[in-house]
Amino acid sequence: MAQATKAQNCHETGTLTEITNEKPVIALIGMPNSGKTTLFNSLTGSNFKTSNYPGATVEYSTGNLAGKYDFESGVLDSPGIVSLNPSSPDEEIAIDGLFNHPRFGLPNVVIITADSTQISRQLFLVKQVIDSGFKTIIALTMNDLLGRKGLEIDSEKLSEVLGIPVVKINSKKGTGLRELIEESKKIILLYNIEHLSSKIYKPSHPTEEAIAKLYDFTEETEQKVLIHNDKQVSIDVINKKVFRTLQRKPDENSMKLDKFFLHPFWGIIIFIISMGIIFTSIFWIAQPLMDLVDSAFSSLSSAVSNFLPGNTWYSDLITNGVINGFGSVMVFVPQIVILFILLGLLEDTGYLARAAMLIDRPLTKFGLNGRSFIPMLSGYACAIPAIMAARTISNRYERFLTIMIIPLMSCSARLPVYALLLAFLVPPSTPWIAGIGLGALYLFSLISGAVVAGIISKFKKTDEKSTFMLELPPYRTPVFRHIFKNTYYKSAVYVKQAGPTIIIISLLLWALTYFPNTSPQIETGSSNVTEQQINRIIESERLNTSYAATIGKYVFEPVLKPLGWDWRVGVSLISAFAAREVFVSAMAITFNITEDSDNSDNLQKSILTSMRNAKSTDGTQPLFTTASTIALIIYFMFAMQCLSTVAVARKETGSWKIPLMQIVVYTFMAYILAFITYNGLNLLGIR
Amino acid sequence: MNSKSVADLNIGESAVITSVGDDCIDVHCHCLRLMELGFTPGQEVTVVAKSPFKNPLAISVRGTIIALRKGEAECIKINSNGSGD
Ligand SMILES: Nc1nc2c(ncn2[C@@H]2O[C@H](COP(=O)(O)OP(=O)(O)OP(=O)(O)O)[C@@H](O)[C@H]2O)c(=O)[nH]1
Ligand SMILES: [Mg+2]
Repeated sequence: MAQATKAQNCHETGTLTEITNEKPVIALIGMPNSGKTTLFNSLTGSNFKTSNYPGATVEYSTGNLAGKYDFESGVLDSPGIVSLNPSSPDEEIAIDGLFNHPRFGLPNVVIITADSTQISRQLFLVKQVIDSGFKTIIALTMNDLLGRKGLEIDSEKLSEVLGIPVVKINSKKGTGLRELIEESKKIILLYNIEHLSSKIYKPSHPTEEAIAKLYDFTEETEQKVLIHNDKQVSIDVINKKVFRTLQRKPDENSMKLDKFFLHPFWGIIIFIISMGIIFTSIFWIAQPLMDLVDSAFSSLSSAVSNFLPGNTWYSDLITNGVINGFGSVMVFVPQIVILFILLGLLEDTGYLARAAMLIDRPLTKFGLNGRSFIPMLSGYACAIPAIMAARTISNRYERFLTIMIIPLMSCSARLPVYALLLAFLVPPSTPWIAGIGLGALYLFSLISGAVVAGIISKFKKTDEKSTFMLELPPYRTPVFRHIFKNTYYKSAVYVKQAGPTIIIISLLLWALTYFPNTSPQIETGSSNVTEQQINRIIESERLNTSYAATIGKYVFEPVLKPLGWDWRVGVSLISAFAAREVFVSAMAITFNITEDSDNSDNLQKSILTSMRNAKSTDGTQPLFTTASTIALIIYFMFAMQCLSTVAVARKETGSWKIPLMQIVVYTFMAYILAFITYNGLNLLGIR
Repeated sequence: MNSKSVADLNIGESAVITSVGDDCIDVHCHCLRLMELGFTPGQEVTVVAKSPFKNPLAISVRGTIIALRKGEAECIKINSNGSGD
């Protein structure tokens, strides 16, 4: 359990802080997309992800009130809920946490964020929470947006009607936060939680009448508290005019934009084009930056090799192994950064929820749901948060199916692998083809996911009713600061995670290729061999008798030969189980050590040169042909190589069934499809 | 079946909800959820957009826009004189 949480944390963007038991607890509750996480970040100084779509938060997060508020208290952020009656796992988490948190028990105070632009809806939850007996404070958010309609909320009046404190806040500017904490403090000091807990009860399933009645109340309240921010206008005029027109109208701009983005025809075209642009541009935008990182690492490597004594085992290990290995993975940081920025932009504009709506119908054909779209898309960054994001899908079967196919989405750890292999396939004079190739791989991973889902849903039917009810948030101009911050944290995770793994694997691989025959005896029959040639013979003899070669030749080679790969590829593939991107650094080591490579080349080129020079085991043919390289790509598209993904799938589905299926089915598919690809291409005469 | 539902409105048309899920055949039709989301009798709703094949639809209610599948929208009955807006 602790292990699993740890594994997830390294993919989280914020920092988790433990709340100790003695401290009071403030819980943040609210409807989806009402600004809870934005408030949480401002209160605790955390950096959890906020996004302009409902369902951004799917897990409880905890933090401590920042020092500047001068009050010791824990704060809990939670997934958005519509009512106290959950309809999906993320809502269950929020509600269970509110009534019965495993570690903190009941919160001393509940702060409900309420989006003031849709106050009659948002008060529904507020009223339910108050009626359950919690000490509640309302934090009114989005007042700036309501102000643009020429309206505002009379918070004193609202406080009077509901009998609880109401504070207008703007978490981004920091206004109202101090007041909010002051109100919380008052309540915490005034009421004893043990005393409160006897009055708190979970409401039963509401009836239709109860809901209608509750809404009657919220509407009445809305009429009382919504005022024109131009004070001259009399209340009567507002009631007559404004109420019938403005107050229940969603954001005007969003309605206009939706005419376009949700157009039955153009909407689809825009959807396809925008997805296409995003996934093909990653390669092109990143190229200059990648060259920069590449040359930085190459000069580091050559500087270090000048400094170290030449021709010793450790200089080779450090330059060829560790620096080049690490560098060859860091080269892809620009691409990953750009992927995160583009996805972040898409999230923050509010378009994602629309895309989910447009694609709902096609996805149902494969047994999925429109709500599967956002998890699938985030699967292109990393499968772990993506699997967790599937919590917003209320139908259990559709949720499991979504989780099942997420590992097929082309995650960012595969990017270095694809980029290397595509660079091998595409002539260097036409790099733009690689961009298209990458776009095609992204598309293909989507298609394969859909096909797998389609096949499974043909075999397994469910009676559980499928629903799709999704709030479409107003379009907003993305806040670049947020996106950059988010991207920074996520990329830092990539670098931090890759660093130690790559160094450890590099050392291990080097040791396996160096021992046990450290100084092999060779016969130099004739005297006209140069020292360099002798060195090469020694090196290759050492390698051929090494542990890696022995294991590789007996274990990997028989299995991999039908796919056109040798034991060195096998060793790299096994290393990729630590993390997919390690494949690239493992290739750098196994092939740079075993093949003549020119250190003056830049990183990627030096691996490519080694790959081009590599010969198959019998030494007659090149090892990497078009066919065997494409087969490798196919293998990476399907193989289930990420152990953290397995752990999260186990945790999220509550059983081993799905993760075991993923391991068995995807590994088998990867092998078979790579086999078919390699031999099929060979039959067609493509080598 | 005979009464008009939100699914029958054209893009841009508004109407007032008369009932939710009254003649729904399925007891688990998530009508309660629809009501919790804000589709209560007496509310004015407007169809903002429709996906291809008119499914799902985007409907504005209580200051927000909510996407619903056609089947769900059919549970929301309206008065028959829907007006263009
Ligand atoms: N204009 C404006 N935007 C805000 C305000 N507060 C939050 N936002 C934006 O609203 C969006 C949603 O905010 P979040 O904090 O992610 O909302 P949440 O309640 O945590 O949402 P879920 O986790 O999906 O339930 C983000 O794009 C925020 O930047 C505000 O006071 N004014
Ligand atoms: Mg949130």
